[in-house]
Amino acid sequence: MIEALEVLFLLLTSVMIAYLIRHYIFTLAVLRRAKQTEKPTLLQTSYKPTVSILIPARNEENVIERLLQRMTELTYPKDKLRVIVIDDASSDSTGKIADRFSSQHAFMEVLHRDKMKGGQGKASAMNAGFKQSTGEIILCFDADYCPQKDIVEKLTKEFKDPEVGAVQGRVVVLNEPQNMVTRLVALERIGGYRVDQEARDNLGLIAQFGGTVGGFRRSVLESLGGWDESILAEDTDLTFKIYLAGYKVRYVGDAECYEEAVDNWKAYSKQRYRWARGHMQCCFKHSLKVLKSKNLGTKEKIDGLLLLNVYFMPIVVLFSFAIGVPLIFFAPSMLVGALWFSVPISFYSFVGNFAPFFEVGIGAYLDGRTRTQCLIPLLIVTFFYNIPICTKAFLDLLVSKIFRKDSSIWVKTSHIGNGNRYIVN
Amino acid sequence: MFPDLTLIIIILAVGTPILILIMLLPALLELKKPKDAGPRLIMDNSSEVQIQMRAFSIASMEEEQKFDIALIRMLAKIIEVLPSMEI
Repeated sequence: MIEALEVLFLLLTSVMIAYLIRHYIFTLAVLRRAKQTEKPTLLQTSYKPTVSILIPARNEENVIERLLQRMTELTYPKDKLRVIVIDDASSDSTGKIADRFSSQHAFMEVLHRDKMKGGQGKASAMNAGFKQSTGEIILCFDADYCPQKDIVEKLTKEFKDPEVGAVQGRVVVLNEPQNMVTRLVALERIGGYRVDQEARDNLGLIAQFGGTVGGFRRSVLESLGGWDESILAEDTDLTFKIYLAGYKVRYVGDAECYEEAVDNWKAYSKQRYRWARGHMQCCFKHSLKVLKSKNLGTKEKIDGLLLLNVYFMPIVVLFSFAIGVPLIFFAPSMLVGALWFSVPISFYSFVGNFAPFFEVGIGAYLDGRTRTQCLIPLLIVTFFYNIPICTKAFLDLLVSKIFRKDSSIWVKTSHIGNGNRYIVN
Repeated sequence: MFPDLTLIIIILAVGTPILILIMLLPALLELKKPKDAGPRLIMDNSSEVQIQMRAFSIASMEEEQKFDIALIRMLAKIIEVLPSMEI
């Protein structure tokens, strides 16, 4: 029995070591690339495909006007642009605001969904908008976002490469100064986009489509059947479908967009639960396909599997601690004693696996925001908070699979427009 | 191979709160009196703006380094007091 626990402990520690190495590789890769001085270049391209922008919106009256106003300010030729707002059974004035803009601007239109068809989640809304769209390129923005004025050019230029099936821009938190939650979410975004996504793109690994501030080649999206409405993380699902079909996702770091982050722990918990459960659904759906795929190289397969399993990490850490403490303090261990270094690695990972913190720190440094690095120790709070969230997501998913009772209900994140006062341009 | 259990417990009980305090002090100061609360400014793409932003970020980093040195000196003064609290 003791030996079995020892083997399990060492196995879990090996998984943590794999993620630790992965994060350090990403950070060093981005640092090395940043040292190569790049002259800023003006965006000039003759490649101007027709673009449809989908904006799913359900009860977003506090924020949607800001986004639609920004749509009118986009520098992309309006004769090649169509903006489709999917008013997804809103009970507030979201539909009226969208109608006002569409009446004033010919390139905008609104798709109103009633309560029978609407309110089934983002994937359902996106599919409805996609059916109505005609552009060669489909871009997506959530209603609380505020993109750069030239973001369409930046995102669409990547599609000149026929291997590119999708693109992803960078998300920056707009309401960062609001409170501790928003500041910590902003730090997570810095690590996630400035370092993690950038490294995966630079190293030819699995860059992820994040559900917004990104887009697809229409033909690819059609061949993949659009968004899977049964999966909560429809963006992760599409990412892997694209790679398995032989295409790539390109991360465009200078295509930036503001978002309104969650500003309280309850909303944070609901959002992360959705991400965790959806990601785990994708893990069950795609892991074997990734392993068997002939369109993916070895490093892509390894990174793909690590990405699919990333939300299991808090659970791995919890189990590692639960098994490790009795093994080390209460039972004489042979294997663990021989491989003593596994103990500090396990405990080091339990307090947050400082590799992701290193990512955040370097991301803040590259952004020229060294003062925000002082907040990095507080990321331990979010790390510990994610342990019960991910554990619950996993248990709920297991129960739903065992009893074949899929209760994947999309719980929308509320936006109250706290970011509006920080807009300067 | 492993040290005495009692010793480990004592070290953890005494050292952990001190370590947490040292780790979290800069974070708490930054939350209380933020020097860079954000948001990070997103500019529209133009070469001239990017050059100006880079110059601005280098100048502001130099100012931040001066503050960091002052903060480290303050922390050092706090840590100096701790050994004198031994019984």
